Amino acid sequence: MSQMLSPDMTIAAEAAAKAKIEVKNLNFYYGQSKALKDITLSLPERSVTAFIGPSGCGKSTLLRVFNRIYELYPKQTAEGQVLLDGKNVLDRSQDLNLLRTKIGMVFQKPTPFPMSIYENIAFGVRLYEKISKSEMDGRVEQALKRAALWNEVKDKLNASGLSLSGGQQQRLCIARTVAVKPEVILLDEPASALDPLSTAKIEELIDELQADYTIVIVTHNMQQAARVSKQTAFMYLGELVEFDRTEKIFTSPREKRTQDYITGRFG
Amino acid sequence: MSAIQEAMPATRGSRDAIVRRFAMTDAIFHGMTRAAAILVLVLLGGVAISLFAGSWQALSTFGFSFLTSESWNPVTEKFGALAPIYGTIVTSAIAILIAVPLGIGIAIFLTELCPRPLRRPIGMAVELLAGIPSIIYGIWGLFVLAPFLQTTVQPFIISVFHGIPGLNSLFAGPPYGIGLLTSSLILAIMVLPFITSITKDVFDTVPPVLKESAYGIGCTTWEVTRRVVIPYTRIGIMGGVMLGLGRALGETMAVTFVIGNAHRISTSLFAPATTISATIANEFTEAVGDLYTSSLVALGLILFLITFLILAIARYMLMRIDARTGA
Repeated sequence: MSQMLSPDMTIAAEAAAKAKIEVKNLNFYYGQSKALKDITLSLPERSVTAFIGPSGCGKSTLLRVFNRIYELYPKQTAEGQVLLDGKNVLDRSQDLNLLRTKIGMVFQKPTPFPMSIYENIAFGVRLYEKISKSEMDGRVEQALKRAALWNEVKDKLNASGLSLSGGQQQRLCIARTVAVKPEVILLDEPASALDPLSTAKIEELIDELQADYTIVIVTHNMQQAARVSKQTAFMYLGELVEFDRTEKIFTSPREKRTQDYITGRFG
Repeated sequence: MSAIQEAMPATRGSRDAIVRRFAMTDAIFHGMTRAAAILVLVLLGGVAISLFAGSWQALSTFGFSFLTSESWNPVTEKFGALAPIYGTIVTSAIAILIAVPLGIGIAIFLTELCPRPLRRPIGMAVELLAGIPSIIYGIWGLFVLAPFLQTTVQPFIISVFHGIPGLNSLFAGPPYGIGLLTSSLILAIMVLPFITSITKDVFDTVPPVLKESAYGIGCTTWEVTRRVVIPYTRIGIMGGVMLGLGRALGETMAVTFVIGNAHRISTSLFAPATTISATIANEFTEAVGDLYTSSLVALGLILFLITFLILAIARYMLMRIDARTGA
């Protein structure tokens, strides 16, 4: 079907057909200063969307609105709508813990919990599910396999999560996120603190995960955005400048600012 | 540029003089700071040595039985430190038992839950508790807390646990008001600010992103605290508890007011007892005879060793958490 439509139409059609997250007129404030200006975009289900842009452009902020993690801090407020399967998550009545089990998040720096590798994964699962020891073993193994970490850690599941290398820790965090069976996975510069080899592994992983999850990745690395994502959103100074298929953004962007950024003329 | 190079040879001589002067003042500064540091060690050593020397007579007279004997009889000059040691350890342990959950609770509330405008006032109020002189805790304990416990709380507890084996001897009457438990309560209030503020500080060392990831998989505040924040800061909390314990062991004035100063070991927490520091404070002026004085100094030595050990453990634990967060 996509071949029949022009590229511009395709993304619109895809978005309209099966949008997982729809952002409508979103404004975000850090105290008085406005960090996101009237953002409207729609993220298709089971595909990877990349947010790119210079530091401070609001891409991480946008990500942090999706699971409302920003609410841990005072004076941060969001206005507008973020629809997850058509339901506004910014609604007062939205249960935060439930929302965050549906929208998993992985951060720039690996954040293993201060417990064993096994517990790092079992912990999140146990919060919302009562399952037997053998089922849990299965879940942990499955999650670690999905994160391509199983072979490296299967003999030391009781070792501390902190004993792993940075790249392994990050994959552990992804495994932990996947184990809770979320619908959306938010990745906030997941590979920026990692060496190229670990980065390649994470990218491979993202590619595999998109079969089952809607993935949003914030990245500073434009090659990475080009490699892993299907759609790319370019943001600048709190505005969404351009949102389109990744090939289009990187080959024939509509906006001059996008062109300048991807060719390295600023940012 | 060339102007500077030309000016250089002219100032060369005076510059060397300045460098020499800097080197000398630096050496003096170095020496002074080192002397100050060494002074601390000298003082510590001096205290330890004079305690040893002062207690020598008692220790050589009574030998090991000084630690195991309960008798404290100035008339027959038979002295044993067991009752004060028991009182010191039991009051401090109960105080810690009460203060630790409270302190951790306050710290959790202040770092995780408290609305921001209330954070500073409550935090400061807790720290002000540390600023109240211990004599005030003492008179408050004697004139307010002890009568209150004597007339209401203790009779109630005695009647509740009456006839329950074990507990009935732990909470046996008569209700004096003053005694082990009252001292423990006062001590708990006194060490609370130490435990709270250290716990609060180590809670603040938890990286926000670690808490975010725990919230990010759907944890409640309780789960984040219980499974992430406390395990992450466990060593630091232990350090805070140890510092509080060190404080409780050595506290003199407030305890002297409310402990009852009785040289005996009783199973009841309501019974009057004594602690090492209370004994020394009460009896030093009336200690006649060298053996009596020496026994009191020996008590001091025991306290010195206990607190030194506790503080060393605390420092070590805090050092370990510093090393980890620095890495």
